[in-house]
Amino acid sequence: MAENAAIYALRGTALIEGQQDDGTLNKTLLDFIWQRARPGWLFLLAIGLALTGLLFAAITVTLAIGIGMWGNNIPVAWAFGIINFVWWIGIGHAGTLISAILLLFQQKWRTSINRFAEAMTLFAVLQAALFPVLHTGRPWFAIYWLFPYPSTLKIWPQFKSPLMWDVFAVSTYFITSLLFWYLGLLPDLAALRDSSSSRRSRIVYGIFALGWRGSARHWHHYKIAYLLLAGLATPLVLSVHTIVSWDFALSIVPGWHTTIFPPYFVAGAVFSGFAMVLTLIIPARRFMHFKHVVTLRHLDSMAKVMLCTGLIVAYGYIMEHFAAWYSGNVYEQHVFFFTRPRGPMAWAYYLQMFCNVLVPQVFWLRWARRNIAVLWIGSVLVNVGMWFERFNIIVTSLHQDFIPSNWAMYYPTWVDLSLLAGTIGFFGTLFLLFLKFVPAIALSEIKELRHEMAEGALDYQPTEMEGAKP
Amino acid sequence: MRRFVLGEFSEPAACVEAARKLHAEGVPGLDAYSPYPMHGIDEALELPRSRVPLIALTGGVLGASGGYAMQWWMNSVNYSINVGNRPPHGFWTNIPITFESGVLISVLSIFFSSIFYFFKLPRTYHPVFESEKFRTASLDKFWLSAETEDQDQVSSLEARFRSAGALRVHTVVEQV
Repeated sequence: MAENAAIYALRGTALIEGQQDDGTLNKTLLDFIWQRARPGWLFLLAIGLALTGLLFAAITVTLAIGIGMWGNNIPVAWAFGIINFVWWIGIGHAGTLISAILLLFQQKWRTSINRFAEAMTLFAVLQAALFPVLHTGRPWFAIYWLFPYPSTLKIWPQFKSPLMWDVFAVSTYFITSLLFWYLGLLPDLAALRDSSSSRRSRIVYGIFALGWRGSARHWHHYKIAYLLLAGLATPLVLSVHTIVSWDFALSIVPGWHTTIFPPYFVAGAVFSGFAMVLTLIIPARRFMHFKHVVTLRHLDSMAKVMLCTGLIVAYGYIMEHFAAWYSGNVYEQHVFFFTRPRGPMAWAYYLQMFCNVLVPQVFWLRWARRNIAVLWIGSVLVNVGMWFERFNIIVTSLHQDFIPSNWAMYYPTWVDLSLLAGTIGFFGTLFLLFLKFVPAIALSEIKELRHEMAEGALDYQPTEMEGAKP
Repeated sequence: MRRFVLGEFSEPAACVEAARKLHAEGVPGLDAYSPYPMHGIDEALELPRSRVPLIALTGGVLGASGGYAMQWWMNSVNYSINVGNRPPHGFWTNIPITFESGVLISVLSIFFSSIFYFFKLPRTYHPVFESEKFRTASLDKFWLSAETEDQDQVSSLEARFRSAGALRVHTVVEQV
């Protein structure tokens, strides 16, 4: 099997390239953590921290002066706040898909990217959660608006509202992602503790490793606990974006009131999440020297998932237009055949269609799936397109609703733009810290995978298509 | 004062084989340590079936029924809100939160029962960490340990470890 692994490496289809053993994997994957911080990393961190500063400034302005600093007002009562919320939470979904659903399907290629994607989930959900809380205007009251807290008002949240379902879904999702991530991290934190050369890092990583010693009696429970968490995260991730889509679909606003929303939102979430994983992992694998464990085969597989979910999203768009036409409802038809394609925000509609429908079609080509530049640019465009999809769903549906006298344009303010840029910076900051202080590749799982491949237990064979061309 | 006899192996298969042999010989307090789960070690040590699934199920059922009861009690018993004259107790609208709370409680019980009960973590000290060589247990080597209170048994255990194929054998003493 070892020589087979080498053959796959030549074909560019290997999951782990080169002749690796546990020692070389430890060395190469932990190297970035033990090295001194590089100038490039520090430079990016400085940008991230500057944008984080902007985020906190914008939050301060929002809280001190009020929600009126945002551009949304009647009729566009939901705008950037909810667009950003849905966009970020959608990005998070790829992490759970990779770590949980692909684990259950025994897709071995997930192993190299799952830690990375789970961290992305965690930080993306954190950004997402900021927006509804700020959108309440007075977040210090949100505790009894949103959670069933026995306040002196004696009133409870209204559980028939999808917004309440959202609160429970998102908080459950965040907690589950965090615990799943930490459980997966335990053996790697122990590896960091045991490979540290200074006393200080040994103590710090020792604390976070909780005294993990890799006992067979622990692994025995660990394996089943990890699998069960994956099994629970799988329906959870589907439920979260379904519930997010119900925030819209259960209203009667034209452009929102449609039954295709749950599957189309879930597919869109996975689509944008995979795009974000690619956007982040392509530079990371180069600058952190992970090319031997995140190979072209991984990028190829991710591009295929993007293509597939992109097609589901495109189908969702077609069905929305068909349902609007078939319903005979003039308000629905106005949204889908006038406001969006011909209204004042038509540019956003065409941008969305270009990025989400046309761009992913390039991934039918094997050449494009293995060309780093095409992949990276394609993934960034998909992220942009998915942001504009939410913009079109929310703003374009609201700004021209039932009565023309009620119509108004929407313009974001500098606070809106700062919040969006700021969350991108905050996300980036958290991600850079993660890359520097925690193994970004699930080390123990990669070692197990290498062992399985060496033993031939995995019995990985390239398919005809993969093996045919060198 | 507990004594831990430690034996190092460079391959998981050798470690599992040695564990099977030593377990059959009735070596006391046998345990194995590895950077990733070793295939077949559960059978070699004859570990009983894990009870994590039972706890997950209990947590899930309690969470889901608790979540449903919470919504029913709050919205139709304790403070009934009339929304568009819909019945105060809406079965279908209670489903999403029932599902979410079932998952939440199940996840919390899996995680915390594993850490605190099954792993008995966090712990700041374990005798096996007395050995600096043992640091490889989370990196690239595979270890077996036997536990005894009796200093006289140590040398015979060390001999058994060597005959089972351990590359390096030494004994650590618990420092309390």
